[in-house]
Amino acid sequence: MQESNLIVRRIKDGTVIDHIEGGRGLKVLEALGIDGKDGNVITIALNVPSGKFSKKDIIKVENKFLQDFDTNKLAVISPKATINIIKDYKLVEKRRVFLPNKIEKIFRCSNPDCITNSNEDIESTMDVIDKTGLILRCKYCTRILDVNQLKYC
Amino acid sequence: MNEFYQKDIISVKDLEKPQFEKIFAATDRIIQMDPNERRELGRGKTLGYLFFEPSTRTTLSFQAAMALIGGTSIGISDVSLSSTKKGESLADTLRMMSIYSDILALRHSLDGSSRFAAEISSKPVINAGSGTEEHPTQAIQDLYTIKKEKNKIDGLKIGIIGDLKYGRTVYSLLYALANYDVDIRLISPESLKIRSDSIYEIQKKLSLKESTNLEEYIDELDVIYVTRIQKERFPDEEEYQKVRGSYKIGLDVIQKMKENAIIMHPLPRIDEISTDVDNTPQAKYFKQAEYGKFTRAALLGLILNQNGF
Repeated sequence: MQESNLIVRRIKDGTVIDHIEGGRGLKVLEALGIDGKDGNVITIALNVPSGKFSKKDIIKVENKFLQDFDTNKLAVISPKATINIIKDYKLVEKRRVFLPNKIEKIFRCSNPDCITNSNEDIESTMDVIDKTGLILRCKYCTRILDVNQLKYC
Repeated sequence: MNEFYQKDIISVKDLEKPQFEKIFAATDRIIQMDPNERRELGRGKTLGYLFFEPSTRTTLSFQAAMALIGGTSIGISDVSLSSTKKGESLADTLRMMSIYSDILALRHSLDGSSRFAAEISSKPVINAGSGTEEHPTQAIQDLYTIKKEKNKIDGLKIGIIGDLKYGRTVYSLLYALANYDVDIRLISPESLKIRSDSIYEIQKKLSLKESTNLEEYIDELDVIYVTRIQKERFPDEEEYQKVRGSYKIGLDVIQKMKENAIIMHPLPRIDEISTDVDNTPQAKYFKQAEYGKFTRAALLGLILNQNGF
């Protein structure tokens, strides 16, 4: 294991989210709704020196195996993050986050007059219209959304 | 089968030039048809209209259009008299209306309301104005007006003037014009400039120039599309007062226009076009409102009849 990963202790079972763009680790926790209330140990390392990026963040979540549905939420925040599933101290699965064509129930539309921000029973849905430039469009009000201004549902 | 049969009309972005041309051809047929034959198109059908925002022309023209094709209309144009006042959701109101009618027309203050309605309703939905987002049937009547009054759309220089930030007719018109080879001039106060995020997808298709000064382009425009500065959309009165009356089309402006240019307006107007312009050959806004009845009748006829007409 690389030295940077040893800054925080090895985990027996759980998920290691690595190569998070430096400074985005806390946003990743927010997106995944990880707040430690379930009692599992969560270790966060911010601004770890990295070869790939100048700095990266790492998150280790013990006793929790994050699914694609959860981790793909990260594609908007940190598209180069990697997901490592650890079982009995061994890496059993390594995957990249994948930006889907549609992002559902993650972000609120930033247009306050959008129907998704009303009291109607409606889920926020955004179409990814440019995966490279990371351009999202609200399915309902069709506004182009600034990824950096989005708030979570 | 006619491609509009049972289709929702939510956004102009869902239509392309061939579809516009089909609606225009259907509108021509509606105008020329024998009245008895025309009334067969909507016989036994009901339009359900839900207007959660004030309207004169759109409500009336939908009702007149439905009557023209022999159908009936039921609806709510004063929300304070409906169960919305009791707290009923838009979704439930739509479910009820889709039970009682064959086609729905919705006007609502929220952006995306019609797209949501189309998901809820079991009957086709026509967007009759959604927030500051879109007003597709207005754009269809606007294009039809240009085509009838200028005999073409391609090759024209079109100036859109006034409230470009909040004006939903402006966005629908721009999305529609993106299908044609036109030159656009956008003239507005600085604070009411077009929302760039809303024209992101059509920017490359349109030849656009922006200005705050009408004088800069007035003598070169073929179509002058004037819009009202919409007091009701401003977050505060002070901001409205700063820009109200920014542009006024009077006889002095007519003198500077090309002789065969036309003036359009989605109406209602407040003071942006003086009443003495109404009788000039350039004034086409009332004709435009009349065309709206026929374009809506054509659209209703196409949506309700499997084999078209």
